[in-house]
Amino acid sequence: MSETVILAEGLTKFYGKQRGVVGLDMEVLQGEVFGFLGPNGAGKTTTIRLCLDFIRPTSGRVAVFGMDARQHACQVHMRTGYLPGDLSLYGNLTGGELLTYASHLRGGVDWGFVHDLATRLECNLSRPIRALSHGNRQKIGLIHAMMHGPELLVLDEPTSGLDPLMQQEFYRLVAELKAAGRTVFLSSHIMPEVERVCDRVGIIRDGELVVVESVQALKARALRHLEIHFSATVPPEVFSGIPGVRDVAVEDSVLRCTIVGTLDPVIKAAARFEVVNVISREPSLEEVFLAYYDRGDADAP
Amino acid sequence: MLRSVLLKSLRDQRRALLWWGTGLVALAVFTLLFYPSFRDMGSEMQKLAERMPEELLLLFAGESKDMTSPEGFLNSQLFVLMVPLLFMVFAIGMGSGAIAGEEERGTLELLLSNPVPRWRVAWEKFAATVLAVAILAFVFWVGLEVTSVGVGMEAGAGRMAEATLSAVLLALAFGALALAVGCATGSRGLSIGVSSAVGVAAYFLNALAPVVEVLQPYRKVSPFYYYMGADPLANGLNLVHASVLIGLVVVLLAAALITFERRDLAT
Repeated sequence: MSETVILAEGLTKFYGKQRGVVGLDMEVLQGEVFGFLGPNGAGKTTTIRLCLDFIRPTSGRVAVFGMDARQHACQVHMRTGYLPGDLSLYGNLTGGELLTYASHLRGGVDWGFVHDLATRLECNLSRPIRALSHGNRQKIGLIHAMMHGPELLVLDEPTSGLDPLMQQEFYRLVAELKAAGRTVFLSSHIMPEVERVCDRVGIIRDGELVVVESVQALKARALRHLEIHFSATVPPEVFSGIPGVRDVAVEDSVLRCTIVGTLDPVIKAAARFEVVNVISREPSLEEVFLAYYDRGDADAP
Repeated sequence: MLRSVLLKSLRDQRRALLWWGTGLVALAVFTLLFYPSFRDMGSEMQKLAERMPEELLLLFAGESKDMTSPEGFLNSQLFVLMVPLLFMVFAIGMGSGAIAGEEERGTLELLLSNPVPRWRVAWEKFAATVLAVAILAFVFWVGLEVTSVGVGMEAGAGRMAEATLSAVLLALAFGALALAVGCATGSRGLSIGVSSAVGVAAYFLNALAPVVEVLQPYRKVSPFYYYMGADPLANGLNLVHASVLIGLVVVLLAAALITFERRDLAT
């Protein structure tokens, strides 16, 4: 059985009267990529900052590597790499200087690895940070988090500002870290990103952890909006009978429906007609949550 | 210069140090260049001073009675107001920027995500403030010393160093206050505001206490009293008074480290 890397128990944080997180119980295991999914303001950043002792819980506790985050902040930081969600860097330094500073504070790093990371992320380390775009600063933040080869990476919205190519490179980096047995705890508000890189996902909403599930289970329950354009009008009853398909609407030759789980039966059914175009849209986070709440209602007697 | 928080903090100040150092040397040189003509006016200058209201004299020239003696001149022109004011402005600027400034710019969290305890970050940044003020004081003193020899002013180099050191201790007390307010609240504006307000109040309290009866019993509350009250330029550094200033620095620094360790960082 894997070791627990992050353990939150009844973790609660209020900023005055304002809610941060409430009664959060969560476990992140060694070697997994754990995604923390929720809309902005749900409490993702609060949780992450509690783990790193930047803020202190109102009640409850959080332990990292089995050590209290508060009592042993320094030891936790030693073994952790962190990327803040709202990244600010020293504008007067170059990327290389910033990383030099951090490496001194950490007692030295492998510079071969740092340059490797910089090359892969196409990051220019010799320009002053103030002259860099948001995406390029994000890359320096990522290198700063990874440069010392930490056992745990805590990344708050890591792909924000990265162009799609760099996002792909980032996903590859995460996969490599996972293969090397590292643990990654990342927050995101983008469902497909979490599906793509994570093993397990915790969904947080209004400060409460709604559910923790494997990505596979999440996908099986995921909603998808499908729009199929046919060359001629189709009878709606062909589709409305399929299990997992709802909100079927046919307007002229266009079918719109919502599908829970696999698309396969709908595609097979559609194949009998002449298909002009298929448009599939990922659900918004709000819809994902609603799917969970609907399920809750359905389970109720 | 990026080897530690201390060195990085000094590195961040290198331009400021250059300009402040230049300005302070210029202040020392140009003030002392006036000394010969000031001295030659002798009794006339003295008479002019005696016609001024005592409060005004105390505020801008201090308690020196003879403004044409080297000590009286240096005190009235530099050490009563200008030198402590400039040192304090610099120390308050660095003290408030140390934690609160970095917090407001948003870089503090990234810095603290490295394995450095909060208290050490605050401590090293204050140590950098001490070094920076010491560097400024040193170049200012060299400027004073060299020019005083040039214009034939007979004030001992040792005495000028002691008066400058006394000003350094005063400035560091306010730098420590700025650090403490910044550490406790995370607000740079509040830190600067509180320290400056306390500084101005402390100055007036000490300067006017000799002639304003209601202030008299409170004069020893003012850090300025421990800076100038024993006239270090004439009498040398008063060790008891210097110890009071150092004690104040230690207490405020301790308060800074403790409050910073305990609170939430601002986002």
